[in-house]
Amino acid sequence: MRSLILIILCLVGLVPMQAQEHERVLSHANMLGVGRSMQYDTYLSPLEYHGPCVSFLHESMRMTHHAASRLSFQQRWQSGFAYTENPAGNAEAYGGHIAWNGGWHYHWTPLPRLRLMAGGLLGARVGFLYNTRNGNNPAQARCAMDLSASVAALYDLRIRCRLFRIRYQADLPVMGGMFSPRFGESYYEIGEGKWADHVFLTHPGNALSLCQLLTVDCHFPRLTLRLGYQNDTRQSHVCHIRVRETSRNFLIGVVKHFSVITPSSPNASKTIL
Amino acid sequence: MKQFLISLLTLLTFSACQHGLEYDATPTANFEALWQIIDRQYCFFDYKAQETGLDWNEVHDRYAARLTPHMTRAQLFEVLCDMLSELRDGHVNLYYSADVGRYWSWHEDYPRNFDENLQDKYLGTDYKIGAGLYYRILEDNIGYVAYNSFSSGIGEGNISDMLYYLRACDGLILDIRGNGGGLLTYAERLASHFTNERTLVGYMQHKTGAAHDAFSSPRAEYLNPAEGIRWQKRVVVLTNRECYSAANVFVRNMKCCPLVTTLGDQTGGGGGLPMSSELPIGWSVRFSASPTLDRNYQQIEFGIQPDVPCSLDPSDQAKGIDTLIEAARQFLHK
Repeated sequence: MRSLILIILCLVGLVPMQAQEHERVLSHANMLGVGRSMQYDTYLSPLEYHGPCVSFLHESMRMTHHAASRLSFQQRWQSGFAYTENPAGNAEAYGGHIAWNGGWHYHWTPLPRLRLMAGGLLGARVGFLYNTRNGNNPAQARCAMDLSASVAALYDLRIRCRLFRIRYQADLPVMGGMFSPRFGESYYEIGEGKWADHVFLTHPGNALSLCQLLTVDCHFPRLTLRLGYQNDTRQSHVCHIRVRETSRNFLIGVVKHFSVITPSSPNASKTIL
Repeated sequence: MKQFLISLLTLLTFSACQHGLEYDATPTANFEALWQIIDRQYCFFDYKAQETGLDWNEVHDRYAARLTPHMTRAQLFEVLCDMLSELRDGHVNLYYSADVGRYWSWHEDYPRNFDENLQDKYLGTDYKIGAGLYYRILEDNIGYVAYNSFSSGIGEGNISDMLYYLRACDGLILDIRGNGGGLLTYAERLASHFTNERTLVGYMQHKTGAAHDAFSSPRAEYLNPAEGIRWQKRVVVLTNRECYSAANVFVRNMKCCPLVTTLGDQTGGGGGLPMSSELPIGWSVRFSASPTLDRNYQQIEFGIQPDVPCSLDPSDQAKGIDTLIEAARQFLHK
């Protein structure tokens, strides 16, 4: 059990795996996104709600010296807000969330310009969906934690002496827990009881979700511009309540690279992510 | 390369298997959607099968026969409302931009036993107002409180201040006739000032699945004594057929309190906590989703009998006398 906890803590970077000084390159990206969202939650309505959404994404990545400098740490904060309408256009719903993901990827370089990554991410997400015209079931609270399998591919493309880095990443939650009311249960009744009784185990069988991110980094002399597309689909089918939230955002932002140099760096990794 | 790009685009537009209903204005689609919403989520099928002989499948067939492909929205609305009225439930409504479908026979088919003009006469002009509570001391030193809607917010301070003002009275009349409900929180808050002990008042259930008999085990509901001023003398709660929903639950709770007597007519009922959903055409529907039981596990959907039955006498009414208030005064002076 202790070793399992240690592995999870190492996975999210809470425990340093090796206290060795080295040079580290950090990449911080801040992106704004605009796109379309779809909200479907049978606790509130059997209809799909569609509408615009905005998001903010902060991502940091760094190579570590672990595993012969083939291990990177990634952390992502994301918040989003969506305004959606029912198909008839006579009812609105407002949705919002804040999410955090953090974890490690192992790197392979099968080709000089291609880097493949695979690893795991721990994630936490809280949010809400508020339907403006429902009576005793006007809103749904969202709260979930999960462990995701994550794969990514980076490819360096050089066009007319300018470097473009293309990255595709997909995160698939494989196990976790989420809050949900039971089929016909009101929040009034939940409030009278124990909230902990409403946490359910999730896995791809009852909560098949996928977050995909495609980005292109354009390197300029003093700036790295990032353009991206994110398709984040989260689903669950727990307690006979079907939930599906999809947001498809076009992202734009900037990437900053920081180099942290410490006195001794025998196996320093200068790989920029 | 082309195939790779197509594969990438397919992957990026990952669309999972769960889909909701899209816009559809056809009569059949909306009829079926409404029937299924109620079939899956309505909570009183088994109870009403016993009490009224309700057979939801038979209802489907009978009303489906009334559909025609080119019927107008108003005609469709009428058929759907007629179908819903088979449930005989005041918590069931269908909302359309031009009308609200409703079932109000739970009070319209009975004598009202309440006259606002008489209530105004008893309150006079120098009554106090504490949020939704209207109160005064009657000439025979009986406190009279009118609370017309549990949608009108009341705080602990409002109730304690009112009870402090009425502290010297020999008894209290709590008149909730015409109170069609509102927030359960206010109903519990007011009732909590009439008990000194944590009291079992009833049970609540919820549906755990689409089957008509899929319910959670009943969860006990307790009334906790208020921290503010608590009334220690006799109370008469006046009820009529218009006491519905949260007012019905309030009567259920008050009947469990010591020194409380209910007087008047049976309450209207409304023992299901309503939830909402909607149809592909965009109309909203409300229905009872979670049943509330009394402390003897009995349904309160069709109302609660008073301890002392009493009706408004038309001859009293003509003289400006409220029979129920006078009966309550006599009861409190005994």
